[in-house]
Amino acid sequence: MKRPQVMIGTVIFAVALVIPLFLHNDYFLQVIFRLFLFATLGLAWNLVGGYAGQLSLGHAAYFGVGAYGLALLSKGMSPWLAIVGGVVLSMICALIIGSVSFRLRGPYFCLATIAFTEVLRLIAKNLPNVTGGDVGTPVPLLFPHNSMRSFYYACVVLTILSFAITYWVERSRFGYYLMAIREDEDTALSVGVNTARVKLWALLLSAALSALAGALYASLFLFIVPDQMFGVEVSVEIAILPMLGGAGTLLGPLVGSIVLETASEVFKNIFKEAHLLIYGILVVLVVLFLPEGIVGTLNRKLRWFKAAPRTPFASAPPPGPAEESKRIPLPLAE
Amino acid sequence: MPLLEIKNVSKRFGGLKAVTDVNMSVEAGEIAFIVGPNGAGKTTLFNLITSVHKADAGQIVFDGHDITHSSPHAAAKLGIGRTFQIVKPLRNLTVLENTMLGAFLRTSSPAAAEQEAAKVLQFLGMGKVMHLAARGMGLPMMKRLEIARALATKPKLILLDEVVAGLPTVEALKLADLLKRLPEWGIAAIGGVEHVMQVVMKIADRVVVLDHGIKIAEGKPQDVVHHPAVIEAYLGSKYKELLK
Amino acid sequence: MSWFYPFLQAVLDGILTGSLYALIAMGMALIFGVMRIVNFAHGAFLMLGMYATWVIFEYGHVNPYFGFLAAGALLFAIGAAVYAGLVRHIPVQAEFMIILLTLGVSLICVDTVLLVFGADYHQLNFPLLGKNFRLGSQISLNAPWLISFGIALLAAAGLYLFVMRTMFGRAARAIAQNPYSAPLMGINIHRVQAVTFGLGAAAAGIAGGLLLPVFYLYPDVGHLFNLKSFLMVVMGGMGSIEGAAAAGLVLGVVESLTSLYWGNEWALVVDFVIFILVLSFRPSGIFGSQRA
Repeated sequence: MKRPQVMIGTVIFAVALVIPLFLHNDYFLQVIFRLFLFATLGLAWNLVGGYAGQLSLGHAAYFGVGAYGLALLSKGMSPWLAIVGGVVLSMICALIIGSVSFRLRGPYFCLATIAFTEVLRLIAKNLPNVTGGDVGTPVPLLFPHNSMRSFYYACVVLTILSFAITYWVERSRFGYYLMAIREDEDTALSVGVNTARVKLWALLLSAALSALAGALYASLFLFIVPDQMFGVEVSVEIAILPMLGGAGTLLGPLVGSIVLETASEVFKNIFKEAHLLIYGILVVLVVLFLPEGIVGTLNRKLRWFKAAPRTPFASAPPPGPAEESKRIPLPLAE
Repeated sequence: MPLLEIKNVSKRFGGLKAVTDVNMSVEAGEIAFIVGPNGAGKTTLFNLITSVHKADAGQIVFDGHDITHSSPHAAAKLGIGRTFQIVKPLRNLTVLENTMLGAFLRTSSPAAAEQEAAKVLQFLGMGKVMHLAARGMGLPMMKRLEIARALATKPKLILLDEVVAGLPTVEALKLADLLKRLPEWGIAAIGGVEHVMQVVMKIADRVVVLDHGIKIAEGKPQDVVHHPAVIEAYLGSKYKELLK
Repeated sequence: MSWFYPFLQAVLDGILTGSLYALIAMGMALIFGVMRIVNFAHGAFLMLGMYATWVIFEYGHVNPYFGFLAAGALLFAIGAAVYAGLVRHIPVQAEFMIILLTLGVSLICVDTVLLVFGADYHQLNFPLLGKNFRLGSQISLNAPWLISFGIALLAAAGLYLFVMRTMFGRAARAIAQNPYSAPLMGINIHRVQAVTFGLGAAAAGIAGGLLLPVFYLYPDVGHLFNLKSFLMVVMGGMGSIEGAAAAGLVLGVVESLTSLYWGNEWALVVDFVIFILVLSFRPSGIFGSQRA
């Protein structure tokens, strides 16, 4: 049933892999690099936010820890080992953040994820001896030869990996459990799902992928500062991409990234510093008119695209006869 | 040894005594019903058995395990399935996917889970709606879907909270016929019912009556309905006098 | 006793800052309490209030201590419009969609200001700024802070009385308790919610106007206060405006003391650690019980 999405994804990746053969302009390669980098982050977010419905606004935490892990650990070891270290650190953060915030529901969860990310940002800012503080810290270059093209390929491969993992998750028991948690946690518990553990596993996976993306990003720019890695805008962008494309769908983050990054690139030249304006307008439009995202809406509108919709954030259905609890009790005459 | 044994269990929420000193047991393959007016403590008792709430006092033993301070997912693993009074389907998934979710408790393979789920859905007469999204279903199908999901976990005991409430009588009796066959599968059941006594009379081996969290009667369905305390709980003391 | 005067000075400074925090937080708590909406645009509303007051001062030469009234009125209109034009169309259950929506509104506000006024920092320049009010030989309080403090207290008290004593407030609290049955009692739910949203935004706008003389101004200034008001609303028990006000005062003092003993840069860290602790152990808040 997933075939159209897999097919479209495969075509996109195939095109992405041949682009550098024709395109020798480093600037454009960097733009597409960014597109796939955020697609990876969106796919990572989608595991937790889209499938499990745990809407994190703090994914910059894992992105940033991956980047700082590479930057700081590579002072004492090879950069490749440092990346692994960054991934491990990021997963440790996920473990801590997850075990506190997953106990909270709704807006409380959202706020907790923001708070943790802010703490990390401030720590990175306030410990100049360790992290370089506000000034920032240098990052080793991973691919000294033919640099931009290597980064580009590494990023596309990482996106394909994330896409494949998502595909596997979607078809496995783990994926069903995630969706069950999103739809109704009590029901999931009643059929024996250890919801706390399943959510944590999803977050660990998501954090690991985000950390890899963070390391790649940092190494391309050779220098990182706290606001750039841990800023709220980063978290927001990571969450908006899949929502725009269709949260809880395989293709959503990729489509979202293509649309958003292209729009942002176009408008950057018009609005200069105020290019986030276009994000704001897009977000408002999506929430009002495409609450299921692009892929989610296609799922619903086009039969051949997929039989049953799985997208979670459609406007909640009106209370039907089944929802006894939501009926307004009528005062009965005694 | 009974399959489930509830010993002197009590639970209070703030000032409200939801369940007080209740004793009850269920044998393997038995169908028991807990009957009581709204607020009698039926759902609370189910929530205590599945550890959604933890009992303040007393002990609950299931299949040789003390599950008083267990957790909901662990209870399901031990073999306690449940349905919810307010139906909780996973709206955006299909009927089949909803049921597979239950089957995943005993297998990690989607193919095997699908097979098991399809079997359960056939049994419940839901073969035709298998591939429809759960959110479009009417209440009768929603109630059946709750049962399907619980049955797919291969429970030894299934808790059916108000499983026929709100259904037309014909539907309720059809469902009762299906439920009566549960012991064939080696499944015991505890139903919770407010007032659909027809179903209770038809399929219950034993009835426990709760009122304000206290057990006021227990026995065969025919005997219990004539018990004075039961009549009083349901109709008030005035009617008890009238019936005499 | 050498530690005492710095300590007292920090506490007093903290209370002055805290009064503005309290007003900001009350606005957010009002919106959350009645509609269960976490308004991510609250900081942006505050920023708009600051810019409005600043524009009136720069181009109309109106003292900010009158200008803030215009900022409040403007933000009331903006808040009510955001509700009527956007928020109203999203079902209440779609919590994250509303969060995203208000985030989008916030981005639009901040970047529009950036586009119009540029990213430069501004600070007001008028004679009152350097004046201090001395208490004895050791304690001195900054005059504009004192005035802002006084007005903030009045505004906060006014908001509280309005919600607690008027017919409108009663309707708003009825919606907070049960949005399904309030319309059955003849409450025009959308009008009341629009006014509530407007009032919440106006509180942020007034606080912005009062903050302008004592703070500096740049397009993203609201971000900082946004996060702080989440903290205060959660501490206060989500939806309790008096709880949020108490949390604002406490937060002001805690920040001031943190700055005194550990340094300015750790004040925010302490804020968020408190935030996480409250969320982990007392998500229903520390001050006042959750009312709705």
